[in-house]
Amino acid sequence: MKIIGFAALAVLIAGSAVAQQLAPSPTLDAVKARGHIECGVHLGLPGFSFANDKGEWSGLDVDYCKALAAAVLGDSTKVKYTPTSVQQRWPVLTSGQVDLLARNTTITFSRNATLGVNFQGINFYEGQTFVVRTKAKVAAVKDLADGTICVAAGSTEEKAAADWFRERNLKVTIINFQKNDDAISAYDQERCDAYTAGVGALAGQRIKFKDPAQHQILTEVISNDPQGPTTRWGDERWQLVVRWVLNAQIAAEALGVTSKNVDEMKKSTNAEVRRLLGVDGKFGDMMGISNDWAYNLIKQVGNYGESFERTVGMGSVLKLKRGQNELWTKGGLLFTPPFQ
Amino acid sequence: MRGALRFLRDGKVRDVLWQVAATIGMIAVVAFFVRNASENMVKAGIASGFSFLWRDSGIEVPFNITGYKPSDSILGLLWTGIVNTLLVSIAAIVVATAIGFSVGLLRLSRNWLLSTLAGFYIEFVRNIPLLFFVLFWYFGVLAALPTPRDSMSFLDVAFLNRRGLSVAMPNDVTGFRIALLATLILIAIQIVLARWAKARQARTGQAFPTWTAGFVICGLLPLLAFVAAGMTTSWDLPVLRGFNYRGGFVLVPEFVALFAALSTYTAGFIAEVVRGGILSVRRGQIDAARALGLSPGRIIRLVMIPQAMPVIIPPITSQYLNLVKNSSFGAAIAYPEVVAVFMGSALVSTGQAIEIIAITLAIYLVLSLAVSAFMNWYNSRHRLVTR
Repeated sequence: MKIIGFAALAVLIAGSAVAQQLAPSPTLDAVKARGHIECGVHLGLPGFSFANDKGEWSGLDVDYCKALAAAVLGDSTKVKYTPTSVQQRWPVLTSGQVDLLARNTTITFSRNATLGVNFQGINFYEGQTFVVRTKAKVAAVKDLADGTICVAAGSTEEKAAADWFRERNLKVTIINFQKNDDAISAYDQERCDAYTAGVGALAGQRIKFKDPAQHQILTEVISNDPQGPTTRWGDERWQLVVRWVLNAQIAAEALGVTSKNVDEMKKSTNAEVRRLLGVDGKFGDMMGISNDWAYNLIKQVGNYGESFERTVGMGSVLKLKRGQNELWTKGGLLFTPPFQ
Repeated sequence: MRGALRFLRDGKVRDVLWQVAATIGMIAVVAFFVRNASENMVKAGIASGFSFLWRDSGIEVPFNITGYKPSDSILGLLWTGIVNTLLVSIAAIVVATAIGFSVGLLRLSRNWLLSTLAGFYIEFVRNIPLLFFVLFWYFGVLAALPTPRDSMSFLDVAFLNRRGLSVAMPNDVTGFRIALLATLILIAIQIVLARWAKARQARTGQAFPTWTAGFVICGLLPLLAFVAAGMTTSWDLPVLRGFNYRGGFVLVPEFVALFAALSTYTAGFIAEVVRGGILSVRRGQIDAARALGLSPGRIIRLVMIPQAMPVIIPPITSQYLNLVKNSSFGAAIAYPEVVAVFMGSALVSTGQAIEIIAITLAIYLVLSLAVSAFMNWYNSRHRLVTR
């Protein structure tokens, strides 16, 4: 009897020594069992998450979802997109309908502290500004005093705009719409003198105006709105995967790994590149996914820079400059901790 | 023991016991769900409780008559939303009833053109989703109005443009308060006078010109009082400053669009209710009234409507309830009613969905019960006394 007990114990110890012991991750298990990732995206924001007439999604946030699918499931197409409004996004995430949000959501203290959500890094540094009609002759934000501003209710822009004008003792009327698109069409109908949103968002939404040439986006920015993938509280291992997939996109650009040269880079002598691509180090095992996770996402989706240029940068209709969204080594704010 | 058994066999006692058991069961189920929800929310890291109501709201409300400021608490925001809901609901109920009664009567008119037009209106309105109707009115109203720079001006005291109707407001309202009070007193006098005239006519057969007297007492005299009040105060005139007219009171297009959509939409349903009610009045009653030589207007007012009312009121009550609930469509066009400001802005900024939705449900329940109670009271007062 005793002998059997010892034998069982010995087998247990041996078994756990061989397999990497991982914290339980219900989300990751569910994703693998389901065979796809449920990604909460924006209702429709060109450049970030936008479905074309064939129902194919594209954009910077969509690329992040694809990268995550490539890393976890080895196939970037295994994503199901759930469009969420400003109001819906939190319950959709916390109730478990989606595995994560990648939808131009600004990281704020009170959201982090009271909504039961965690922000896993920054994939876009956004700043709030205004779009006005060219004929209105507005050069700076303060010229909007006594004006009327259309905004999406419950967005950070609603409060930031109200605060900005109140701090300066300027009077404005703010009209809150439930959906961005309703606010945009009300502005287009001249219900408002300005519509406010982030620089990147406006560059995309401008396309929706009846005559985009008659509108002008102010260069002045009144807030800083960092945005990135968001997860619910709990399930730290899933949060780890979400965080490091974003880091891998940025690290790949910093290390010069692109979708085109990723196969040659496997032979690189750079230790960090070798660890990133799963040649050394077995980093995938530590998270409970395959070791070529980063190779897959770079091969199928590309590094952050490729993704940026294709969706919002010079290769897109938005034509945004990298600006703050450039690597820290090139004067931007994008930074990743080392793959060590 | 036997006593207890006999006690349980008593039908009344058993009824009470069943009801007590059912009530306790209900409370237990609700308590279970509330406890479960709050435990799960704590686990998920979501804030809960009602303390957020006293937090600063920081949300702008472009249209309010409560004097709300963004520095007020969320409770103040909620109150502003409720007042705006009531404002648009009451205004729309009054107008919907007036349009509904007229269209319902026209539908029964013997004039082919009028009855066909009324029928067309009813079918058109009843077969369109309300959301579409609200958006149609909103963007229709906006497109029809001029931009602020080319505003329509009414004697330079009121200006109409895409930002709404700006109306001059008095800086000192005491005169107007007195005039309003005087109007109320005069209306009371008019009611007493009408009763006296009716009693006198029943007694002596002599008619009294109640309408003319009423017009002088309740129409001209208060008008003079308001003119006097207007002369004695200075006015806050709307002035074009930069983009918009500033000063005065602004009636926003969101209110106008929602009010117009709700009243024209509900009127279609009320018209059908009215038509059904009038058709329920027996033909003989109208023939008899006609034989007595009553004019068509008097037949409608004295014979048809009083007998149709008991049939009309219950379904019209549910139309009123629908209208109050439908006012939540204002959220789609940025009219700051309770759903837009509380379930929209406040919910997103605090994230406390369960509490906010529960409060909103309770508000609609109270509003609906109040409307029902009033209509039931009115119905019991006007019940037909049959002999």
